[in-house]
Amino acid sequence: MAEDLPVDQRGDLLVELAGITKSYGPVKSLRGVDLTLRRGEVLGLVGDNGAGKSTLMKVLAGAVQHDDGEIRVHGKPVRFSTPADAQAEKIGIVYQDLALCDTLDVASNLFLGREPKRGPFIDRKAMHEQAARILADLHVKVTSTHQEIGTLSGGQRQTVAIARAVSFAPDVLILDEPTAALAVAEVESVLRLIGEVAAQGVGVILITHRLQDLFRVCDRITVMYEGQSVDDAAIADLDIEKLVGLITRTPQPTRTQPTRTEGSRA
Amino acid sequence: MSTTQTPTEPAPAPSVQRLARQRSLWERTNKATVVMAGVTLVVFVFFAVADSAFLTFANLSNLATQVGPVLIVGVAMTFVITAGQIDLSVGSIVAFVAAISAQLLVAGWDSSLVMVAALLMGLGWGLVNGWFTAYQGIPAFIVTLATLSVVRGLALFQTEGFSVPIASTTFVAKLGTAKWLGFSVTAWIALAVVVVGLVLLHATRFGQYVIGIGAAAESVRRAGVNVKLVTMAALGFSGLAAGLAGLLIAARLGSGSANSAQGFELTVIAAVVLGGTSLLGGRGTIVGTLIGALLTQIIANGLTLLSVSPYLTPIITGTVLVLVVWINLRGRDLAWFVQRLTRRS
Ligand SMILES: Nc1ncnc2c1ncn2[C@@H]1O[C@H](COP(=O)(O)OP(=O)(O)OP(=O)(O)O)[C@@H](O)[C@H]1O
Ligand SMILES: [Mg+2]
Repeated sequence: MAEDLPVDQRGDLLVELAGITKSYGPVKSLRGVDLTLRRGEVLGLVGDNGAGKSTLMKVLAGAVQHDDGEIRVHGKPVRFSTPADAQAEKIGIVYQDLALCDTLDVASNLFLGREPKRGPFIDRKAMHEQAARILADLHVKVTSTHQEIGTLSGGQRQTVAIARAVSFAPDVLILDEPTAALAVAEVESVLRLIGEVAAQGVGVILITHRLQDLFRVCDRITVMYEGQSVDDAAIADLDIEKLVGLITRTPQPTRTQPTRTEGSRA
Repeated sequence: MSTTQTPTEPAPAPSVQRLARQRSLWERTNKATVVMAGVTLVVFVFFAVADSAFLTFANLSNLATQVGPVLIVGVAMTFVITAGQIDLSVGSIVAFVAAISAQLLVAGWDSSLVMVAALLMGLGWGLVNGWFTAYQGIPAFIVTLATLSVVRGLALFQTEGFSVPIASTTFVAKLGTAKWLGFSVTAWIALAVVVVGLVLLHATRFGQYVIGIGAAAESVRRAGVNVKLVTMAALGFSGLAAGLAGLLIAARLGSGSANSAQGFELTVIAAVVLGGTSLLGGRGTIVGTLIGALLTQIIANGLTLLSVSPYLTPIITGTVLVLVVWINLRGRDLAWFVQRLTRRS
């Protein structure tokens, strides 16, 4: 893929997925997915329930191993056998199911797997201070870094998971339905955050069923259908109706009346 | 969102300090452990009043020696149960190591070699449990139920059921009778194991991951932690502890028997769960295990002093275990309730 591109664009490419397949026994979750992500780009990934979006992102985060196909990060072919491999390539993710530990406190969850150490011991004081700073910076509404995750509300848990992913300072940030449990103000702040990190050159992949959000932050949309990537379009070429048509695979009645104000507010 | 580079930043803002402020001691303590500490005190006072021989230094020292093996294995078992696993094979490993160590001494091995071999045998069985559990995905309950049978069976097969005496001239035998400041070597080693357990569980990444795995293994795996290795290490640790306990028991008794430590696993699990470690995983307390081990052995010791039939001890242990598990599983709601009460006030 990269060979076809002009050299100046090639340096821009953060992630290229080509022909990714994944089966769970007889269930073919992914049947050949292509996807690209550039530096500083916000890519919307959409598709029906069960289209394979989360599975694809788990592959990219090393949490699931694909069967066939190629992953390139910064143009270099990689194979992630563990989530740690993907983290080493600076890929950060907020999982749809969040992946937190209920009986550990907020700070421990933020730093799970990379706890600050003093000698052989966890430096709890530093961990809680850094955690408090991260939470304050991102305006996460929790009362204490010592609070157990299991005692937080669904929205609070979601914002902690987002803070965790962002605090890795990733090059690629994957957000799998990050706003599903959030109130209006929190959704706004997540959308603002996406804009901010993208402006710093991070590539963001956003999965959401809130289509209006896609039009606010995305540059491009990739559509998945039954385990395949079926469309890829710049947001400027789309409106909500066209996008719905792409997701549901119902051919749009060709009523692109010139009277209608074409949707893109991007 | 420049969030990760912190060392050179100015003093944290007040809101940051408030977020990171440590909670009060009461909020941090495991309520189930506090309850058990109270129960232990009551039982202690009861026996002290009921029998004048109970509160003598000789008996307390004896009690400490009795608690030793339960505590040593209990500390390791705390890790296993906190990680959401169980180890039923520790009693058999104790018997195996006791019997085989005695045989090795009889065969003329030097005490120092036998001591190393005892630890390695325990660790080896623990790693067998850990490998099948973590890397082959067989539930620890099944794996350790199988090794419970196999390991004791091997020891019985090897010794033909006879108790193997240890010559009193060997260093191992001397270790069994040695005392320091009035307490046995077993008691001191148990104390050291408690300290190691405390540090390991609450101050290291290993302990953190053990707790996390008990709460949500998949989340810990996705955080980039080698969950299988940590799980295997926890079970390896309990095997190692059982090996140490087996050696100390053989040394104290002056003989190793494949029939020793019957039902030991139940006593240990009772002690751990009694202390407030959650059977569901994700919550563990070493201090609780210390209290639990003391409670089970105070009961056993006190009943012996009151010359209650020794055959009653397993009945009482089993009953206490069921009661405790019942309270432990209900205790979640109790703890939640207490939290609500304290927060409202
Ligand atoms: N561990 C698994 N075992 C078996 N099948 C699985 C597993 N994980 C996912 N699948 C299947 O793979 C398909 C894609 O699932 P996936 O979670 O990727 O969908 P999705 O696009 O994220 O859907 P949603 O919008 O509902 O989140 C589904 O049919 C699902 O049942
Ligand atoms: Mg999904």
